[in-house]
Amino acid sequence: MKFLDKPNSAAKNFYISSAFWVCVATLYGLTAAVELVAPDIFANIPELLFGRIRPIHINLVLFGFLTPSLIGTALYLVPLLTQTKLYSERLANIAMIIWNIFTAAAVFTLSGGKTQGREYAELIWPIDILVIISFLILTFVVVKTILNRKENLMFVSLWYIAGAFIWTSVLYTLGNVVWNPETGALKGTTDAIWLWFYGHNIFGLLLTPLAVAAAYYIIPRVTGAPIYSHTLSLIGFWMLLVMYTHIGTHHLIQAPVPQWLKVISIVDSIGMLVPVMTFLTNVWLPLKERFSTFYKEIAGKYVFAGTFFYFIVCIQGPLQSLPSVQRITHFNNWVVAHAHLALLGFAGFIAVGAMYYFLPKVSGREIYSKTLANFQYWLLMIGVNGFFLVLTAVGLVQGSSWLHGETIYRVLPEMVPYFTIRALLGVLIVAGFIIGFYNVIMTLVKGKEIRSV
Amino acid sequence: MKMTTSVLLVGTLLIFIIIFVIVVIIPTYQAQITPSDIVRKRTQIEEEGRKIYIENGCTYCHSQYIRPQDWDLGADRIAQEGDYVNDEPILLGSIRTGPDLSNAGGEHPDDWHYAHFVNPRYTRPESIMPPFEFLGDKKIRALTSYIQSLGGKEADARVARQKYWNKILVDAYNKGPDSNVAILHRNVPEMWINMPNPYPATEASLKRGERIYQSFCIGCHGPVGDGQGPAAKYLNPPPLNFTLLKRTGASSGIFYYQIMNGITGTAMPYFKRELESEKIWDVSNYIMINFVGKKDANLEPRGIDASYEPVDSIEIKKYKGE
Repeated sequence: MKFLDKPNSAAKNFYISSAFWVCVATLYGLTAAVELVAPDIFANIPELLFGRIRPIHINLVLFGFLTPSLIGTALYLVPLLTQTKLYSERLANIAMIIWNIFTAAAVFTLSGGKTQGREYAELIWPIDILVIISFLILTFVVVKTILNRKENLMFVSLWYIAGAFIWTSVLYTLGNVVWNPETGALKGTTDAIWLWFYGHNIFGLLLTPLAVAAAYYIIPRVTGAPIYSHTLSLIGFWMLLVMYTHIGTHHLIQAPVPQWLKVISIVDSIGMLVPVMTFLTNVWLPLKERFSTFYKEIAGKYVFAGTFFYFIVCIQGPLQSLPSVQRITHFNNWVVAHAHLALLGFAGFIAVGAMYYFLPKVSGREIYSKTLANFQYWLLMIGVNGFFLVLTAVGLVQGSSWLHGETIYRVLPEMVPYFTIRALLGVLIVAGFIIGFYNVIMTLVKGKEIRSV
Repeated sequence: MKMTTSVLLVGTLLIFIIIFVIVVIIPTYQAQITPSDIVRKRTQIEEEGRKIYIENGCTYCHSQYIRPQDWDLGADRIAQEGDYVNDEPILLGSIRTGPDLSNAGGEHPDDWHYAHFVNPRYTRPESIMPPFEFLGDKKIRALTSYIQSLGGKEADARVARQKYWNKILVDAYNKGPDSNVAILHRNVPEMWINMPNPYPATEASLKRGERIYQSFCIGCHGPVGDGQGPAAKYLNPPPLNFTLLKRTGASSGIFYYQIMNGITGTAMPYFKRELESEKIWDVSNYIMINFVGKKDANLEPRGIDASYEPVDSIEIKKYKGE
């Protein structure tokens, strides 16, 4: 069992898991995209039914790709910033093993139609329990490490990491209604309110803080420009918690839920501009003419792109919470475009960048090929921007047509060219992540060893 | 302000819990639990169908709530909180790639759904829904029962109307082609029966009619209008063979009315929500000329022609006063 105690092995293993699962996740996404253009292509193969693979794609992106990668980063950053050892490498590795088990189980159960049918909370009860155990172990390890810290000052990244683990442990338990194993749901519109409280915050209180934590550390490191203001860090942190937690109901603006709740969600969605802009001010403002220093390191490129996508997606988000905007954008691919910009653009680019930044540190080997990492960057860059443009465009086509009285069926043929381009762009993204996985494996096997100082 | 361990570990959790109470717990206690007037308990087979609906992720393309600005399927009843009191989980959905299903019950008869589940393109040629033939007969029937229950008591009434007319129309069909055509035409209002097609049957308009035919009609009525489309074998009564009308006669007005309103009780849906006037008249011209072999475009009574309509060699003399 000694290999479980090797320093930094948990972080490394989480990175490998992420690099693998993202290939599976995007392949499922690509399959779904192809089915929207050619619905008979996998006719009568239930395991590849659109309605089954869409949740697989989403759950794998969330729990296979983004979270493990960002956890890897967190597990490296926490000991570094506290100037101590990780409380227990073994416990973190056990969490990693459980993590991979439940991720694989998620694929098998959802393929077989075993689902709770609640978007983002599909996983059945036994898997929910594994997720919660994994999160509790990681929270315990992170909190214990912070309590054992030798460095008295807590850097801003630490706040976000600690927050993310604590909030998500509670949020996942509540949002999946785990005290009701049969359906994992409540009755009526109440269920929708609970679901979207969970569904929005599983991104906002898990991925956002972990990605922001990584960027807060990496950007000053790569560019040599310190963070602008401690006060802004504090404002950004507390406002993220206060604003984000309120806004789940903006998914239900046009549904029959209480009006006051909708008002709160819209007001706080606009309020989200504050934590987002304070963070961006904090990391961008000190750069001034040093912007180009991002490009010295491949990791810097990824992380800067991630913060830029954060900027765009967090201006779009508040705007599309407005009822007048939602009249057009709700229920169609505009939202899918927004989701890809947030997850692949913002969280995804930062997760991959942080992995490339820390992988040499946790493995003791240099990245196998900078050229491949750069190539992957451009594949993903073209892919995500293309997705955003094409899906936003088709969303506007759908939304405006419906508003003018066209039926769903009449608009379907208009979507074909957009969906075709979208599927082709999907090929770039899948290729990018397969190259990434190859690069990670080769780094661990053949990467040049870094001589320890 | 300095961030301390206790503020970080306890303070953030406290704020999280407080907000959770405000935006989740309070609305939970305020929630309306009185069922709305359409709600009824689902039967066992409908519950089974709902499970199949969840298992196969129907909810990722079909929403189940009508918004105030909607036009499409079910748009005549805007969703109310009390509609969902029996739903666990609630299946509101977040994207509408297919039509909203909250009021879908009774929109179509069971046999239309059967053909549609076997392959959606049999009944809706441009659909992008995957085929569900793999479910097998029993599960397709359960799923159909669930769809027919959506809309509650109002849906039940619509289903009853489907069944009432289905019996009458199947009886007429079984008595032979003449009796079948007779009953179909008898249920068209007189004014429509005598109405010629007010749209000129130009080459371009027939092309447009063909396009509409292929997008909407071909799955049941077939490419040559003989009622032998791929859906036909699942339907009772089967789709009309238009070539029968060569003998019994027909008019664009009859077609217009039947396309507009559908023939409730059969798999023939209404298209008045999807096709505007010109498209229905164009497809009527297309069917009349290609399958019935008659042309009633622009016959009397016709009034004053619209300004874009072609002027023929006789008319031109009148207009020029020659």
